[in-house]
Amino acid sequence: MAVEIHAIPGARFMDPVVLARIGNLELVARAVVDGFINGLHKAPYFGASVDFAEHRGYVPGDDIRRMDWRLWARTDRYYIKEYEAESNMNFSVLLDVSKSMDYGSRGITKFDYARILTACLTNLVHHQRDRVGFVAFDQDVVAHVPPSAKHMETVLHVLERLTPGRPGSLKAPLHKLAEHFGRRGVLVVISDFYEEPEAVVDAVSPLRFRGNDLVVFHVLDPSELEFGFGDAQPFEDLESGEQMPVVPEAFREEYRSLVRAHIDALTQAFSAVRVDYTVLDTSQPLDFALFRYLNGRLKTMKIR
Amino acid sequence: MSFLAPLFFLALAGLAIPVLLHLTQREKKQIVRFPSLMFVRRIPYQSVRRRKIQHWFLLMVRLAALALIVLAFARPLIERADLPTAAASAREAVILLDTSYSMGFGDRWARAQAAAREEIAKLSASDRGSVVLFGSGAEIQIRSTAERSRLIASVDAAAPGASATRFSPALKVAGAILADSTLPRREVILISDFQRGGWRGEEGARLPQGATLTPVQIQSPADRPNLSVAGVTLARSTFSGQQRVVVTAGVVNRTEQPATGGSLTLEVNGLTVGTKPLAVEPGGSTSIAFDAFTVSAPNMRGTVRVPEDALSTDNTFNFVVSPSTPVHVTVVDRGSAAAGLYLGRVLSIGDAPRFETVSRRPGEVSDDDLRRSAVVVLNDVEVGAPLARRLARYVEQGGGMFVATGPRATWPQDVDALPATIGPPVDRTRGDAARVGALEYGHPVFEPFRAPRSGDFSAIPIYGYRNLTAAKDAQVLARFDAGTPAVLERRLGRGRVLMWSSSLDVSWSDFPTKPVFPVFIHQAARHLAGYAEPAPWLTVGQVLNASAVASTTRAVVRVVLTPSGRRLPFEDEGTEVLELGEQGFYELRADGNAAEAVVAANVDPAESDLTPMDAREITAAAVGGGGTGSDAEPDGVPLTREAREKNQRLWWYLLVGGILLLGTDTLLSNRMAKA
Repeated sequence: MAVEIHAIPGARFMDPVVLARIGNLELVARAVVDGFINGLHKAPYFGASVDFAEHRGYVPGDDIRRMDWRLWARTDRYYIKEYEAESNMNFSVLLDVSKSMDYGSRGITKFDYARILTACLTNLVHHQRDRVGFVAFDQDVVAHVPPSAKHMETVLHVLERLTPGRPGSLKAPLHKLAEHFGRRGVLVVISDFYEEPEAVVDAVSPLRFRGNDLVVFHVLDPSELEFGFGDAQPFEDLESGEQMPVVPEAFREEYRSLVRAHIDALTQAFSAVRVDYTVLDTSQPLDFALFRYLNGRLKTMKIR
Repeated sequence: MSFLAPLFFLALAGLAIPVLLHLTQREKKQIVRFPSLMFVRRIPYQSVRRRKIQHWFLLMVRLAALALIVLAFARPLIERADLPTAAASAREAVILLDTSYSMGFGDRWARAQAAAREEIAKLSASDRGSVVLFGSGAEIQIRSTAERSRLIASVDAAAPGASATRFSPALKVAGAILADSTLPRREVILISDFQRGGWRGEEGARLPQGATLTPVQIQSPADRPNLSVAGVTLARSTFSGQQRVVVTAGVVNRTEQPATGGSLTLEVNGLTVGTKPLAVEPGGSTSIAFDAFTVSAPNMRGTVRVPEDALSTDNTFNFVVSPSTPVHVTVVDRGSAAAGLYLGRVLSIGDAPRFETVSRRPGEVSDDDLRRSAVVVLNDVEVGAPLARRLARYVEQGGGMFVATGPRATWPQDVDALPATIGPPVDRTRGDAARVGALEYGHPVFEPFRAPRSGDFSAIPIYGYRNLTAAKDAQVLARFDAGTPAVLERRLGRGRVLMWSSSLDVSWSDFPTKPVFPVFIHQAARHLAGYAEPAPWLTVGQVLNASAVASTTRAVVRVVLTPSGRRLPFEDEGTEVLELGEQGFYELRADGNAAEAVVAANVDPAESDLTPMDAREITAAAVGGGGTGSDAEPDGVPLTREAREKNQRLWWYLLVGGILLLGTDTLLSNRMAKA
């Protein structure tokens, strides 16, 4: 089946709505990732994790196996070779499953979109023989799959069974998780970030403390960006249940500018702490997200 | 412009409602579930409310509708004096038109009709009028209508009747009509010849507050001749077995001129039986006796007539004469001449009524005797049980029985018919004789003795009587001085039993030789026979009880034929009463066509007296002495603010306007919603 799908021309940018209808996450992930990889022809950064990074002076206690003997021969000094990453890195997706994610105006909810994205990323990383893990959280940790090379099915299974239900909060679960991820790795946070930019950064930043690479996907529905509602209607907050009368046509401009300001603030705050931040619109194909992810990874590596 | 209920202006605050609705437009639509209202909440609240009003016209329509409704509830009225005249001067006019027979004098009636038409013509479009015809009573012809043609038609259709004038009932009816009226001006127009006889200073004939009374006096010169027959007297006599009647008529001349040259005629059954020359002085009266005529048949109709004059209604006087019917009496006695001597003599005298007596021994009383007799007298006889039972049944069927208990009288114990049980004789020959006292003068038997010096029972010594013990339902009409009953009466079925505790001969007392004896016997016989003298005539306005009049013939009256030829059927039992409204002869008929009884009806002779009174007397009594009569300015009564508001009815137009605007608003908003 997967062969058939990726053989289809144009499958590369598949509509997320169509993908959501497939249902089987593994199938979806493979379809997307395979098509994505095929489309790249030759990935220059494939296997980048074993690349040499830098030398540093030997300090007592370093593993002498990592000493660069050739350099010692030339310079008569002890240097240790440092590599960019472990060949088998830990990769975990931290997915926000709060109630606000259960919103979609165009056939696919943010949650479904994020779920497919998670599956795709997991699939992609699994292909690289890396260890995949998964954490779902709202105001607390809801599900946790520790990173392992064998855990891709588990992750997909857990993903399948998740449903968003409770109001969310970033700070408490993410701070808890920050202590949990002891080994360096790549952490992907997917959320709609309905909190103040400072609070978001404050919640997310600790994940970087142990040297984790952090990728943040900000998933939003087109309606949340455009606010294209027509008549005056009462709006209900999905998480708090609060209702208020809204006249969209009067609100629209102001709302848009507020959302823009929010995204700008997040972009700025995340870049300040060197976090890769991407806004995803659920109307965009998933390939775009993956592309952005990998592109971001590449850039980061180049900067280093 | 002012308002009766200005507090309703507080409701103008309600005008804010559509404005708020316009601004908020919190229409009940589906709730939009949105991930987070974080940003929405930040948009200032004020900016939500300050929306532009899009449909100015719709808003204005709504505001105007509400304002009109509030104005209507505040009950506005215009205070300007010149404005309300059109509506406020609307009046309720009650035209009281006299239809007593005196209005037939000369051209009075034509002039009264003309006056009524003139008053009707004065009514404006907003006025309402009523026509009430009155004589001795009042009858509403048309009640409170604005259709003048109907009022005029009712006046045209009216005619003077045979009744006398009575102002009081008419004023009461007019007061009732005015009391129901809502119009501000209320007026009574009294069109009459204002005879003195029609007004007795009646109390209670007051019009409602603020009503006016306008008398319209219909006068005519009194120089025209007007004779009237005031009444007749009928003197009966019996001559060689035939009953004869002498009619004496009283004639009154109501004018200032002597009435000479005419003649007074007596008609019996349509034939003139007597004519007498007539000469009456101005304002005087005379009585003229005709020759006697024989009363040969029942219900003979007699009419006394004077020549035609200006007022013809009172020129005739009707009466009915019938041969007096005898009362049949069966006397049961021992057959001795002495025992029934006094009783027989007493019953043989008298003409009204005549008593026809048959005498029987106890064993000889036949059923035929009882059937024919109105009264049975048991004169001191022994009555056996069979006869007693027959007599009891006879009384129950309506007969009358007189029982005199002398020394021999007996009555079987097991037949309960007498007012008392007969005890042993009481001998009062020694010592003082018994005296009769404690008479029930209210009873018909003793009614003639009521007045002083009209007969003294206590002067009669009674030497012996039977000791009677009264039955429970018996009434003791007289007692002896010892307290024992002397005369008792008991009703039994439809009949009566009267009991005298002594004898009707001179063996025990001198009673038969006393003057009170014949009167007592006659009264007792009349009372027991239920005899009532038939009235030779009645007066218009009196109530005729047909069943009572025809009781002598024992026929059930089904139909009454009025003098004008109308047939008035009596549908139900017990409704045989009729108010006499016409002059002439009423025929009372049973199922057949023959007249069972005839009743003569005459007009009230007092109405012939055309002497007028001062109309202001009635006005003052009806509307009070406050000068609110006809002389008062009709518009002089200031209208209250409530009445003015009621007349103007501005609230009505405002309310209709408001409702129309609301309808327009609904249409507009629907159309806009579709667009």
